[in-house]
Amino acid sequence: MAEALRRVLSPSSAAGPEEENTAEAGPPLLLLGGPGSGKTALLFAAALETAGEGRGPVLFLTRRPLQSLPRGTGAALDHLRLQKIRFQYPPSTRELLHLLCSAHEARGPAPSLLLLDGLEEYLAEDPGLQEAAYLAALLLDTADHFSHRVGPGGGCGLIVALQTQEEGDSGDALQLSVLQRYFPAQCWLQPDAPGPGQHRLRASLEPGGLGPRAEWCVAFRPDGEMTVTPWPAQAGDPSSDKGSSSGGQR
Amino acid sequence: MAGALPAVTLPSVVAELLSEMAAAVREGARIPDEHLLSLKFVFGSSAIQALDLVDRQSITLISSPSGRRVYQVLGSSGKTYTCLASCHYCSCPAFAFSVLRKSDSLLCKHLLAVYLSQVMRTCQQLSVSDKQLTDILLTEKKEEA
Repeated sequence: MAEALRRVLSPSSAAGPEEENTAEAGPPLLLLGGPGSGKTALLFAAALETAGEGRGPVLFLTRRPLQSLPRGTGAALDHLRLQKIRFQYPPSTRELLHLLCSAHEARGPAPSLLLLDGLEEYLAEDPGLQEAAYLAALLLDTADHFSHRVGPGGGCGLIVALQTQEEGDSGDALQLSVLQRYFPAQCWLQPDAPGPGQHRLRASLEPGGLGPRAEWCVAFRPDGEMTVTPWPAQAGDPSSDKGSSSGGQR
Repeated sequence: MAGALPAVTLPSVVAELLSEMAAAVREGARIPDEHLLSLKFVFGSSAIQALDLVDRQSITLISSPSGRRVYQVLGSSGKTYTCLASCHYCSCPAFAFSVLRKSDSLLCKHLLAVYLSQVMRTCQQLSVSDKQLTDILLTEKKEEA
């Protein structure tokens, strides 16, 4: 799933149409950010992106229906794509677990992308460490089962959004480290100094040992439209040592 | 936080050791003592306990017509633990404590026994219906409560 998100963040690097069938699922990805950091909008953008790839449907799990469809996600909101996104709203952790444990009973084409929004709400109900690990492990197991059903050349990606706590609240550090075992790739969304009339975030993708860290600027206009641009390389930023535009490097 | 090892893959040194053991088994040879010593070096007493579970054929691979699979391991105490097939998760207390909480073990003896039973081809096989597999995955959860 890291790959579905990567294609949203950097469409220019996405494979050409002739390579569409080789769209890789990538490792399971955890999308982390504070309240209102655009996690849902990015998940939805990843859903639309994958729905347009001519593969299986997208399964989008969330506790409650989206208030509005995020706008300007790079992919046109056409009906064919929307129809391929199946929303399900498990109201409790118990229902979510039942859905995951029985996912193999469902008939029809296996999803090519599994998304879960608001993991923190499900974890809050059942805060034990082993319970958190089991939920994470079952999400991986379900995506793995879908991958086997999709067959070679595809696979089912997994992206899970988790709302992070306020700074200084370290109570969940252990829980987070347990989740990070299961999701080696992580994308952090952090607020940036707001520009005039828009909400800007810095998205940092740590692909979990599978490549270099990458950063983008995700901006939301007041009307909700999202734009993504590569994060400008800055002098003194240790993560941007290959940026030729950052003069003061040498 | 650096102590948390990924639950999706084995460290390469362990994966290599297991594949060398699998090669020995394929060729019909005994598993060389040095491999068993390495196993004990990496996993400590869990290695012996896991080999014991393998000897007693305590590991069952359960699969349903859907193709979904899960392992069950009959522990030495007579309790059955569930291990997922796709990533590291075991329902036993040692997994919760030593692996998840303390990060001082890589795997519990049940997960290690699953790997070893794959290598030594001593896994019991059991076919169940899709519905029964759902219940096995869900029951695992209830035992925790």
